[in-house]
Amino acid sequence: MDLFGSFTLLLAFLCALYAIGGGIAAIRTRRPLLIKSARNAGFAVCVLIWLAFGSLAYLFFTDNFSISYVAEHSNRTLPVYLKFAAIWSGQEGSLLFWSFILSIYVFSVLFAYRGKHPELMPYVGVVTAGVQLFFLVLNAIVVSPFTVLGAPGAGGALDLVARADGRGLNPLLQYTEMVIHPPMLYSGYTGFTIPFAFALAALLGRYPGEKWIHLTRRWTMIAWCFQSIGVLLGAHWAYAVLGWGGYWAWDPVENASLMPWLTGTAFLHSVMMQEKRGMMRVWNVWLVFATFLLTIFGTTLTRTGLVSSVHAFAQSTIGPWFFSFLALVLVVCFAAYWRNRDYLRSDNQLDSLASRESSFLFNNLILLVACVAVLSGTLFPVLSEWATGTQISVGAPFFNKVNLPIGLFLLFLTGVGPLLAWRKTSMDSLKRNFGWPALLGLVAGGVGVALGLRNFYVTVCLILCVFVTLTILLEFYRGARVISARTRSNILSSVGQLTMRNTRRYGGYVVHFGIVLIFVGISGAAFNQDKQMDMPAGAQMDIGPYRLTHQTFDTTPATNYTSERATIAVDRDGQQLIMLYPERRFYPSNEESGTMVAIYSTVKEDLYVVYAGRSPETQAPVIHAYLNPLVKWVWLGGVVVVLGTILALVPNRQPVLALRAVTETVPAGPLPARLPMERPLERNLEREDGHG
Amino acid sequence: MVRVIVRQRLVAAALAGVLTLLAGLLYAQSTERAKQLGAGMMCMCSCAQILTACNHVGCTVSATMLQQLDQRVAANNSDDLILQSFVQEYGTKVLASPPAQGFNLLAWIIPGLAFGLGLAVVVMVIRQWRRRFELAPAGGPPISSDVLERAREQADRETEE
Repeated sequence: MDLFGSFTLLLAFLCALYAIGGGIAAIRTRRPLLIKSARNAGFAVCVLIWLAFGSLAYLFFTDNFSISYVAEHSNRTLPVYLKFAAIWSGQEGSLLFWSFILSIYVFSVLFAYRGKHPELMPYVGVVTAGVQLFFLVLNAIVVSPFTVLGAPGAGGALDLVARADGRGLNPLLQYTEMVIHPPMLYSGYTGFTIPFAFALAALLGRYPGEKWIHLTRRWTMIAWCFQSIGVLLGAHWAYAVLGWGGYWAWDPVENASLMPWLTGTAFLHSVMMQEKRGMMRVWNVWLVFATFLLTIFGTTLTRTGLVSSVHAFAQSTIGPWFFSFLALVLVVCFAAYWRNRDYLRSDNQLDSLASRESSFLFNNLILLVACVAVLSGTLFPVLSEWATGTQISVGAPFFNKVNLPIGLFLLFLTGVGPLLAWRKTSMDSLKRNFGWPALLGLVAGGVGVALGLRNFYVTVCLILCVFVTLTILLEFYRGARVISARTRSNILSSVGQLTMRNTRRYGGYVVHFGIVLIFVGISGAAFNQDKQMDMPAGAQMDIGPYRLTHQTFDTTPATNYTSERATIAVDRDGQQLIMLYPERRFYPSNEESGTMVAIYSTVKEDLYVVYAGRSPETQAPVIHAYLNPLVKWVWLGGVVVVLGTILALVPNRQPVLALRAVTETVPAGPLPARLPMERPLERNLEREDGHG
Repeated sequence: MVRVIVRQRLVAAALAGVLTLLAGLLYAQSTERAKQLGAGMMCMCSCAQILTACNHVGCTVSATMLQQLDQRVAANNSDDLILQSFVQEYGTKVLASPPAQGFNLLAWIIPGLAFGLGLAVVVMVIRQWRRRFELAPAGGPPISSDVLERAREQADRETEE
C-alpha cells in the first residue's frame, strides 16, 4: 500500500504537469479537445491524491509500522477515531492532507463549471494545477509520508524493518477536537485557493466584468466559514487542553490562522463595492492575492521553525521550498497585474462621505491594519534579531495592547457600516438609524460605570456591543414591520420572510451579531481570577462564588494511557453543583504527559480546574483553579457566526407573499399590467441588497 | 497474565517517575504583584508562553523563574528593578513585550504607522473619488434617442411584475 501511495502521488505529479502544460496550450490554441483534455488531467490529479490519502489512512488503520510516518505518529492502542487525527498530526501527513482537501475544492470547481465559461476555466485549471503541483512536489519528493523504515542489509541493500509498535500520537493531540479542528482549518486555508485562482485567471484572461466575483462569492464564503470554525476550534482546543486558563495566546501559529481570516473578511466586504458599483477592482484582486499568500505564509510559519511556537511542527528543511513558492506566486501576481492593469481600471466615484462605500473603505483599512499589526508582531522577533543581534519576545501583552483599540473600532464599524445607504445617507436617516442605539449604548455604559465598571476598554466594548446589537435588531424590526403590515403576518414570521428574501444581507447581520457575542466573551477576560494551592484530601479552596473540595485522588489505567486524577466537588451557596475530574495523563508509548482540564461552564462564567501535579514539599495534589467570566459567549458567538454564514449561502426566496397580498385585494377580472403599490416595498427591502 | 502485571507495574513506575519529576516544577505566585509582573514576562524554556501561563508538561524553567520572582517581590524591589534583574539574567527575550526603545520601538510604531498611512491613502482616495463625482456632467454623456428608447424598453421589461 505504501508503494501504491507513492505511485499515485508520482502519477498525480505528472498529471498536474500535464494539466498545466495542456491548459496553457489550450488557452493559446482554443482547441476544445485540448481544453477538455487539460480539464480531465485536473480531475485525474484530484482522484489520484484521494487515492494516495486513502492509502495513507489504510496504513494507519492497519497499524503498518514499517512506514516511518505511521510508526512515529500512531500505535496499536490508539483509539480508532484518534487514528484520523494521527494521519495529519505530522509534517508529511498534514501536507498530504492539505493536498487532499485542496483536491476536493479543485474537483468541485472543475466539475461545477465543466463546459461553462470557456474563456475563464482553462486559466482557472492552470492556476489550481500549479498550486497542486507545488504541494505534490512536497508530498511525492521532499517529505513523502510513504517512506519505509529500513536498515543496511547484506551487500549494501536496504532491509525493510517493521517496528512492533509505534511511538503513538502526541498527547496534546489526543483530544476529540483534533479530529475536526485541522480539517476545518485546512478547508479554510485551501478554500481561499479558489477565489485566488479565479482572480488570477480573470486577470490573465482579461475576463470581462465582475463575473469572476459572482462565481467565487460562495466559494469565498465557504472558505471563510471554515477558516472561522478552524480558528475557533483551535482556540477551544487550546483552552481545553493546554491548561493555561486562556483560549488565545497570540502564538505565531494562532496568528497565522488569523491573518488570512482578516484579509478574507476585508475581501468579503470590499467585493460588494465591485459587485454594486464596479469599484475597487485593483484592490479586490490584490486583497484576494494577499489572502492566498497569507494562507501559504501561515503554513510556512508552522512548518519551517521561522518563529518558535508550542503548536508548530518539528523544524524541517522544507522552508526554502515554501519561500520559493511564495516568491514565485508574488512574481506571477505582480506580472499578471502589471501586464493587465488597464483591465482593472474602474471609474470610482464617491457621492458622499456618509455612504456604504466609505464605510467599506474604513472597514478594509481597519482589517488590514489589524493584519499588519499581527504580522509585524509575529515577525518582529526575527527582524529584531537580524537587525540588532539580540533576541526579543513579542507576546500576548503587546498584541493585546495594539489590537484592542483596533478591534473596538472594527466593532464600531460593524454597527455603522451596514446601515449606511449606498451612494449617500441623509442626515435624517443617520438620526433614525443610529439615534436610539447610540443613546442606549451610552446609557448601558453609564450603568456599567455606576455599577463599578472601571476598565476603559471593557466599558467601551459594552457601549459598542449594545449599540451594534440594537442597530441590527432595529434593522430586522423595520423590515419585518413593513412585511407584517403588507401580509398581515406576525412579526416573527415576517422576520423569517425578510431574512429569506435577502439571505446575504440578513445572514451578514447574523454574522455581525455573532461577532458582538465574541466581543462580549473577550471582554470577560478582564475579570479573570485564578488560585493555586496544595489540596490534600478534604482540603477546600474558595474562588469566586464556588467552593472546591478535594475528595479523592486516584490512578486509573486506560487503553492508551494511565491517568492520575483528582475528584473535586464543587459547591455554590452550600449546594453541591457538580463533580470535576481534572487529570494528568501519562502515555507510555512515547513517555509523554498531557493535562485534561475539567471545566464547569455557565453563561456567566467558567470554573476551570487544572490538576497541576504534586507539591514538591507535601506530595499533595496541586490544584490550579481559574474563574473565567463570559467564555461561553465566545463559543456561542462562533456558532452564530457560522449559522449566519450558512444563512448567507442559502439562495434568496422570491418575495411571493407580498404579491399575494395585493392579488387578494384585487377584484375578479384581469389583473392590471403593473402593481404600483408593490414598488415601494420592493425598494425598501432591497435597497441595500447584499451584506455578508 | 504475568506479562500484563509486569507491564502495568512498569507503566505505574514510569508514571510515578514522571510525576515526581514534575512535582519539582510546580510553583505558584504568592502575591498579586508577582502575578502581574509574571504576566509581563516569558517563560524561557522556549515554549513561547507567558511565564505565569506556562503550564506545558515537562517545563523545567518556569518554576525556577517564578520562585526568583517571588523572592524579588518579597525583597520589596521596584517593578523596574525586578524586570531589569530578569533581563540581566535571561536577556531582553524575557520581556513579553519589546522594550519601547532603540530599534524595538519600531514594533510599537508599525501598527500606528500602518494606520496613519492607510488613513492617508483612504482620505486621498475619497477626495479623488469625490472630485470625479463632482466633475461628472449632471446629465451624463449625450445619448441618442434610439439608445435611450432601447434602455427604457429594457427597464420596462426588467421591472415588469
